[in-house]
Amino acid sequence: MMRKLEYYFRETASGLRRNGVVAFAAMSTAFIALFLFGLALLISKEFDLVIQAWTGNLQVAVYLDDPVAGDTVARVQQKLDDLPVVTEIEYWDKTITCEQYNNLFANQPVFLEGVDCRATIPTSLRANLNDAAQFDQITAALACEDQIDDDGSARQVCAEPGVLRVSDFSALLDRLVVITRVLSFGVLAIAALMLGSAIALVANTLRMGMFARRKEIGIMRLVGATNWRIRVPFLIEGLVETLLGAATAVFALFLVKVVFIDQLRGKIQFFPLIKNSDVLAVAPWILIAAAVVAVIAGTIGMRRFLDV
Amino acid sequence: MIKLDDVTKTYRNGVTALEDVSLDIDKGEFVFVVGPSGSGKSTLIRLLLKEEEATRGNVFVAGKHLARISTWKVPHLRRNIGVVFQDYKLLQDKTTFENVAFALEVIGKQKHVIDQRVPEILDYVGLGEKLNQYPDELSGGEQQRVSIARACVNRPLVLLADEPTGNLDPNTSVDIMRLLDKVNRIGTTVVMATHDQAIVDAMRKRVIELDRGKVVRDQSRGVYA
Repeated sequence: MMRKLEYYFRETASGLRRNGVVAFAAMSTAFIALFLFGLALLISKEFDLVIQAWTGNLQVAVYLDDPVAGDTVARVQQKLDDLPVVTEIEYWDKTITCEQYNNLFANQPVFLEGVDCRATIPTSLRANLNDAAQFDQITAALACEDQIDDDGSARQVCAEPGVLRVSDFSALLDRLVVITRVLSFGVLAIAALMLGSAIALVANTLRMGMFARRKEIGIMRLVGATNWRIRVPFLIEGLVETLLGAATAVFALFLVKVVFIDQLRGKIQFFPLIKNSDVLAVAPWILIAAAVVAVIAGTIGMRRFLDV
Repeated sequence: MIKLDDVTKTYRNGVTALEDVSLDIDKGEFVFVVGPSGSGKSTLIRLLLKEEEATRGNVFVAGKHLARISTWKVPHLRRNIGVVFQDYKLLQDKTTFENVAFALEVIGKQKHVIDQRVPEILDYVGLGEKLNQYPDELSGGEQQRVSIARACVNRPLVLLADEPTGNLDPNTSVDIMRLLDKVNRIGTTVVMATHDQAIVDAMRKRVIELDRGKVVRDQSRGVYA
């Protein structure tokens, strides 16, 4: 067994030496492909984090008709409370509403002076959701629907008495999800293309290696070496090339994280960033992709060469 | 040991290399296959190695029906067959010892087996002193001896030789024939394709003559023509 292993590794090493430049080209392509692949995974992870952070403490405002009729607050509050998605409800009366308004526009006196807050801003119930995607539970419970006015503009109308409208985040959320999908799909598509060329290059390296050693292979066949005995050194060679590429790719991803991501840390609020553990979690996938590239390249590269 | 039943081999380009060839070669025989170039000698050897499949008819080697053995068992068939070529087919970057050891190494033999058998067989072919020389440091005859040593080191039942003296001068050829005769005397069946008339006439062994793919003569203790 040891002897067999020794044989395989000696053959692999001499193959890599002989084939140096081409092996290097295959390794670098594998590196770039696997790096992009890892980058795609990290980008979608980053977007997951951001979406989670932004929507995790999403607050929905249910604006009430002004002035508020006697039982409206208690009734609507009860309705919202019954929804499983709602974790907390707060009533913003005119005092709180105007405080928030003043805070929000503290730097823009035009808004503060020109607007009579108490008269124009309606009071509201603020509901915290544990899952932003379940936002439509709120609109359903209050029977709110989008209606198109005669002039073509959309307007939300709620059947629940005393409710003016519900602040709608769904459009924003949808857009975020679309951006995430497009970005990670784009990067994944590039990565897939690169993985394809990595397969082609590794396969080509193996083929050149087999061509350079066709005399040896011919003799091996004549003296009765099994196909696997002939193939395994080349398979290992391909695997070594892609795994070296994978190791470099993981290293490069860490580098990107330290050089670019860590510089941003603490500078942008409410914007969570990927951590070392996220890069580490991507590493096994890169290794698996590397192995898959090697196996496919091996199958393609040796198919024609090794009919008995 | 070797048996062909009405074997025909037609290549994909339409050329018929062998036509209705029937042969029976016993264990321990020494057989010359003679005939002009293109008469089918090499095709016969390729069929025996299962490098090519017969288009029609059955080929048996060492008790195996070649058409019926599966692809993955072909290597095991070849371990029973040694082959020697006109151009020696030695690896230039390996020494005499390494060239012979290579044949055992790639079929997974243990190091101690290799260390024992390789010097033994090289001694047997008369190269006991040249273990560490590279092929380009050896004469043609010596290189052919290395190639015979490599073919015999795994103790095959059959030795196939395709024009083994084709590149050698007459004296060296005689030496090589003595060696093949020696290999034959220890029980190895030897099939040698050649058009070296002097050798065939001198050896007085069984001669099978092929002409355009057909057996035109099968004579024991024969001469070239």
